[in-house]
Amino acid sequence: MRNSISLRSFLSASWLGWKIESNWTDPFLFATYSIIKPLASAGILVLMYSIITNGNFDNPMFAYLYLGNAFYQYVPAVLSGISWTIIDDREHYRTLKYIYIAPVNIPLYLFGRGVAKFITGSFAVLITLLAGFIFLKVPIDINQINWPLFILSLILGIIMLALLGLLLAGITLITARHSYYIGDVVASGLFLFTGAIFPLEVLPVWLRPIGYALPITYWLELLRRSLVGNVAQAFPTFTQLSNLDLVLILFLTSVIAGLIAIYFFKKCNHSARERGLIDMSTNY
Amino acid sequence: MLPPIQLTQKHSGIRLFIMTVFGRAYPRVIGMQREKSWLFFDIFVPLLSVSAYVFVYRAIGAPEDYVGFVVVGGAMTAFWMNILWSMSSQLYWEKEQGNLALYIISPASMMAILLGMALGGLFATLLRAITIMVFGSLIFNVSYHLVSFWQLIAIFSLSMIALYGMGMMSASIFLLLSREAWHISNLATEPVYLISGMYFPVKNLGFWGSAFGSIIPLTLGLDAIRQLIFESGPSLGFLSVNIEIFILILLSVFYVSAAKFLLAYIEKLAVREGRLTENRR
Amino acid sequence: MNNSVAIETTNLGRIYKIRNNKKEKFKELLALTNVDLKINKGELFGLLGPNGAGKTTLIKILTTLLSPTKGNALVAGFDVEKYPDEVRKRINMVSGGETSGYGLLTVRENLWMFAQFYGIESQEANTRIKHLAEIVGISDRLNTKSSDLSTGLRQKMNIVRGFLTDPQVLFLDEPTLGLDVGASRDVRTFIKSWMDNGNDRTLLLTTHYMVEAEVLCDRVAIINQGKVLACDTPANLKKTLQKEAIFHINLNAPSRLELKSFEDLPGVKSCVITQKQDETFLDMILEDDSILSDVISETSRQSLRINRLEKREPSLEDVFIKLVGQRIEQV
Repeated sequence: MRNSISLRSFLSASWLGWKIESNWTDPFLFATYSIIKPLASAGILVLMYSIITNGNFDNPMFAYLYLGNAFYQYVPAVLSGISWTIIDDREHYRTLKYIYIAPVNIPLYLFGRGVAKFITGSFAVLITLLAGFIFLKVPIDINQINWPLFILSLILGIIMLALLGLLLAGITLITARHSYYIGDVVASGLFLFTGAIFPLEVLPVWLRPIGYALPITYWLELLRRSLVGNVAQAFPTFTQLSNLDLVLILFLTSVIAGLIAIYFFKKCNHSARERGLIDMSTNY
Repeated sequence: MLPPIQLTQKHSGIRLFIMTVFGRAYPRVIGMQREKSWLFFDIFVPLLSVSAYVFVYRAIGAPEDYVGFVVVGGAMTAFWMNILWSMSSQLYWEKEQGNLALYIISPASMMAILLGMALGGLFATLLRAITIMVFGSLIFNVSYHLVSFWQLIAIFSLSMIALYGMGMMSASIFLLLSREAWHISNLATEPVYLISGMYFPVKNLGFWGSAFGSIIPLTLGLDAIRQLIFESGPSLGFLSVNIEIFILILLSVFYVSAAKFLLAYIEKLAVREGRLTENRR
Repeated sequence: MNNSVAIETTNLGRIYKIRNNKKEKFKELLALTNVDLKINKGELFGLLGPNGAGKTTLIKILTTLLSPTKGNALVAGFDVEKYPDEVRKRINMVSGGETSGYGLLTVRENLWMFAQFYGIESQEANTRIKHLAEIVGISDRLNTKSSDLSTGLRQKMNIVRGFLTDPQVLFLDEPTLGLDVGASRDVRTFIKSWMDNGNDRTLLLTTHYMVEAEVLCDRVAIINQGKVLACDTPANLKKTLQKEAIFHINLNAPSRLELKSFEDLPGVKSCVITQKQDETFLDMILEDDSILSDVISETSRQSLRINRLEKREPSLEDVFIKLVGQRIEQV
């Protein structure tokens, strides 16, 4: 019975999330949106790099930052997809209270609502990778890809991001709707610490432990290794660690982050119910 | 029972405009006082985000002035975000909540409402911009080389006028569209960062790329500010500061006038098509 | 336009173009058609009709939120399409179930803010807020955040917002929605006294509560499917049924009642059935009392037992039933 509620919560929420994400415009504009946004985001870094290095795209540093940025798009997508659901349902559709009183598993409902953003995020990642491969000669060799490592890392990473999204959803339950997407903002902040666009060695020594504590750091490193192993090896940050070591560390840090997220969400959930915030309106 | 208020006792014209601006700014100011989570997410976290781009430049061995470019670009982002999300897109929420209908049926001007929204958010915007400038400059040892204080003030002021005029113009789209406009604003974020040279001298987009980017007042504003405060600024500038000031004056006049016209025109269109009170998607 | 007329519509019509998704063609929905109304200054005018009748569409047109597709409308002497700014200086609107305002602001702050949009000085606004809040019964909640209000209290805040600016023409679109019986009564009392206190004040009230229309309104228009079916004082509307006999019959109907047989009886003008648990009620309008015997014969033929039979004076609801053919809640 509990399993069917959980599954039903997830599936119906996924359906709902897709309905909401996909019906706001015609397919042409949707496609334009889905292509321009990720390419513009990548374009900023490409241009920055190109200006300084005179277009030296053969340097492993370029592949490092390009791939890191490409996959990093999952971070705001999943974090926002899950946390924004609270705002959308509470303040826009005003259905959050009805979801709460229904026999629905709330965390799974939130994960389900994030699925649509994950799908559009995947599209963005794919577009960025393709553009890099075709136009900027990012050295991805299909025959050299470590597919098992790639798929395992991707799956672990998405679950990890979903749990982090739950943490943000908890915060959103007890805070007002401000002008930003909390998921996007947090993702942009974590950009600094996760070695997405530069190796952790570039950071001052006292900031690096933050990066080492974040599961996203290991996730990105594993994705780089699985796609362009030789590029990843050019940077000293994790050369001492094997793929298995990294997978285990990713798993461990994800579990810790996940437990913190679940605990924090429960606390915020309880606080929101206690203070009557489930149906609050905070538009200002 | 209270005595009736005659129409003549109610203010109109400029006085009503100012009252409306302050009236609408009030919820913004108070809302931010009563719920302070934005201090972390809207002030501290963007500083981290800007720092990420600084470290990218450091990782690839960029000249130190580029660090300054990022800091200044990051600071100016605050104003762009204020316009896009606290002003234009806010109309989406107002429509959903039913406030838009009440604004329309009141004698208050929509420009005043929008200006009030922007003004109310200005405290947070300024705080964000100053935080990034001050802390970014201190942490990353950015050195400045001010050429002309008055030109700097002129550039900043004109950029703001043009930018807010543009924001009001785009707000009119929210009268007609709903969620599409919200998503279009979302779409606009990164492309605007790209074509406005937020983190790099816009000159590197080529003449036509830079010219296209100059549609966004932020582009020329940033370019001119960089020329005025960084030693290598003039060599990396797109056009001379005086030309950029002149273009910004034209853009200011154009955007503010266009905003007035478009707000009125699109409101009429929305009234005709019944879009002001619908809840679509 | 006549100076004594507050609202005038001529051949007013509105068609909505709707489609469920982008693949479908637009369908036309006739929301209003040929609406001709003249509401005088100082009048409390009621618009009575079921859900979807066109009441809100009419209000939206008159408050400059929506353009008519046909005809024109004048409010306070100004065309709503050509001079919306002039209209807006003179009107205000309150809708039932409104969620306007800002949740983080208190009731007082929300109301003060809206007063600013009408150019009312803060001191005057605060005086009026205090006074009106006392009347509707929310003076003890002025410093409560509006997000913390119940539905009923929120609606009271909305009502204060509408009266705060002292408009020449006030539109109330189902204003007592969400209010309890006592609060509804207080609001109605206040509406009456507000009207009495200002010569030129005009109020257009839409409702689907018959009692509200009957008790408050100087004149009532009955609207259904976008058309105004009748427009007169409640007394005159009821007089149209004076000649007829109105009966309310409580039946015990073990099996399904054949309504058509009653409707087909000569002299039966209308017959509406209401089912409640194991009781059946028939509301019938007959040409005259003599038809009653045929009705009773029909009940015998159908093996129905009459628990109670009552002759009533015509009410506004009966007028509605006669014009529309169903109870307002059944439409």
